[in-house]
Amino acid sequence: MPEGTLCNKAPIETEEQLKALLGDKGGKTYYDEMKQLDVDRQKLWDTIRKTMKSRVKTWLKICARCGMCADSCFLYRINDCDPKQVPAYKVHSTLGEIIRKKGRVDNEFMQMAMETAWAKCTCCNRCAMYCPHGIDMGVMISYLRGLLYQQGFVPWEMKIGAGMHRVYRAQMDVTPEDFVDTFEWMIEEYEDDYLGLNVPVDKEGADIMYTVNAREVKHYPEDLAEAAILFNMAGEDWTIPSRGWELTSLAMFAGDWEACRLQVESVYEAMERLKPKRMIGTECGHAHRATVVEGPYWAGRKDGLPPVESIHYVEWVAEALRTGKLQIDPERRIKQPVTIQDSCNYIRNHGLKEVTREIMSYMVEPGHFIDMAPNREHNYCCGGGGGFNGIGLFRPQRNKALITKRDQILNSGAELVIAPCHNCWDAIRDLEEEYKIGIKWSFLKPLLIDMVIVPEEMKPKE
Amino acid sequence: MFNKILLATSATEACDHAARVAFNMAGRYGANLDIFHVLGLPTRGYSQVAIDVKTRERVEVDDEYREWVKEEIRGYYEELLAKLNDNFSINVSVGVPHREILRQARETEPDLIVMGGHTKHVEDSVYAATAAGSTFQRVARAAHCPVLVITRPAGSFWGGFSRIVFGTDFSRASDVAFDYALGVARALDCELCLFHAVDVSGVPTGRILPQDDIEEQLRSARQRMRFRYAPKLEELKNYTIDVWEGLPYLEIVKYAREKQADLIVMAHHAKRREGEDTRIGSNMEQVVVRANCPVLSVNRGVK
Repeated sequence: MPEGTLCNKAPIETEEQLKALLGDKGGKTYYDEMKQLDVDRQKLWDTIRKTMKSRVKTWLKICARCGMCADSCFLYRINDCDPKQVPAYKVHSTLGEIIRKKGRVDNEFMQMAMETAWAKCTCCNRCAMYCPHGIDMGVMISYLRGLLYQQGFVPWEMKIGAGMHRVYRAQMDVTPEDFVDTFEWMIEEYEDDYLGLNVPVDKEGADIMYTVNAREVKHYPEDLAEAAILFNMAGEDWTIPSRGWELTSLAMFAGDWEACRLQVESVYEAMERLKPKRMIGTECGHAHRATVVEGPYWAGRKDGLPPVESIHYVEWVAEALRTGKLQIDPERRIKQPVTIQDSCNYIRNHGLKEVTREIMSYMVEPGHFIDMAPNREHNYCCGGGGGFNGIGLFRPQRNKALITKRDQILNSGAELVIAPCHNCWDAIRDLEEEYKIGIKWSFLKPLLIDMVIVPEEMKPKE
Repeated sequence: MFNKILLATSATEACDHAARVAFNMAGRYGANLDIFHVLGLPTRGYSQVAIDVKTRERVEVDDEYREWVKEEIRGYYEELLAKLNDNFSINVSVGVPHREILRQARETEPDLIVMGGHTKHVEDSVYAATAAGSTFQRVARAAHCPVLVITRPAGSFWGGFSRIVFGTDFSRASDVAFDYALGVARALDCELCLFHAVDVSGVPTGRILPQDDIEEQLRSARQRMRFRYAPKLEELKNYTIDVWEGLPYLEIVKYAREKQADLIVMAHHAKRREGEDTRIGSNMEQVVVRANCPVLSVNRGVK
């Protein structure tokens, strides 16, 4: 059977297809079908010839197999230094092999490549920091994912995730109506506590356009309320777009290049439509990378930038605290051992390492902040990045991967881990569930709400 | 008064007492009962897996699974359901419990939410560590209707309201709760027992509070009660006003026991976040777990 009913080369285009795929519990039929899936070798090779640019070509050619990348990879280290986990090996045995064979690879090979691409690399890009040539294996694995996606060799949840973006322009089945309604619901819930709390929808020319992660809308809408409260307390002129509000991109994890483009274009369209001065995204790492760092290239923007200046939530928090828009009550600062999780996607990949530490200097009572080791751009992935968190098939590998972060946290002695990234937050949640080390973890928003001084005019009159 | 009741249940023993009261009320007042169950917590990032609160199994929730859970609930409450003349619905959802209960309440606008005690394993789960407070506390804080909690077996042997204890701390939230208690007392022809406890627990150790001071506080509180509530009590045949001193939550529980009350009504210090003045909030929490009768929580958002 070349093409399965669920596992095939065609991307999800309709809600019905999405539901059919979701209805396949655990992807059982999907993975069964994958065993029979043919490789379209011609298409694979044509795609490589069209899309593989000089950077990847050069990297593949100049990699000296020196092995310097091995120790940089947390998956290599946690898997007993298995040579098959050396980043260079992971790339050469998959992408390199496909190219050497001019695309003439078989089903078994593609399944192996799928496991390598999604269960042996989180695209954390740490190896690039240690390669004498600066070769970034994470970037090449991302490229490999694109080829695998095209051929239908993609984990079930990733195909669903990319399909969600195609159907809803969001990573979950949240419609624009759901989004606006949920935001308004949260305002209703908190407006008695914070007078004047509101959420301007589709306001043109605001200073800030705020974008989120669909999971907040679906399961943790308090996060939306907290964002609104903090913007209101800081006196910001802000708005949310009714369309183009989703910052994240599971399509990026899936390697669905087309869906990546469709998704960021929806956000850029909102920027063009509402003409805000800046776009600020929620506390999410990969979302920032997708929409702010990589997105402009997907959308074919020549300047490599989004239509308006776009910053990460941590940059806004640091700015608001620095300029006094938000003021912290010194009495309520964190007075317990606390550490911060450096999200690969905006720390290593977008240089925001000092910004988060500046925030810590305001929020934590001096003497209580402890850095993990290593940290900043050298920090390890949370263990669940790049889609790893969501893939049931690779759960055992993911759980093992969490041990690195677990031990980093334990060694720091911190009782609270601040994780301004959805993926990291989830991974730390899961590691607590898996290994029960007795820590707490949090986004920045709920902690800030508890320590920021509420402006007089927002206090309830009682 | 009670046309639509939302019973938020784990469909386990933890909610049996609450369920008995909810079914009883629905039967007695001809109310529609919405039996609502949040079947699992979303887990694993964006994977499709949830952990079923009843079976503790990792499950993929789809329509088939939802139907199966509904059937389970139907089976669990079979005897009680037989008395409801089909005036009920069973609904299940996936998500964080307090949020889904509030979502359902927002959609269906019930007159009352009925909840049970702690479902221990759920509160123990890692989700509990991410936000302070129990599911009840979070629902009670934000709901637009009163929330009735029954955590103890003693609280469930009850056949209708006849004597209501209203505990006040003279806050605005308490005023809203008073209006509600009065409404229930009028509609169902109950005796209303207004109660306040002078908090003497905050006295620093080593300092002895002179009895004259305590009695002065009791006198002034009694005066305050009359001034604040008596004008509204005129139409009510049966009411009492009492002020005791002690640890407020214990005094309320003792008072309700002595009065053989079948309902305690208190204000939940609505919506205020943890960390800010949670004193009454915690009194409410304590009353909830100790009372021998159902406890009704009213916040200032209740219309």
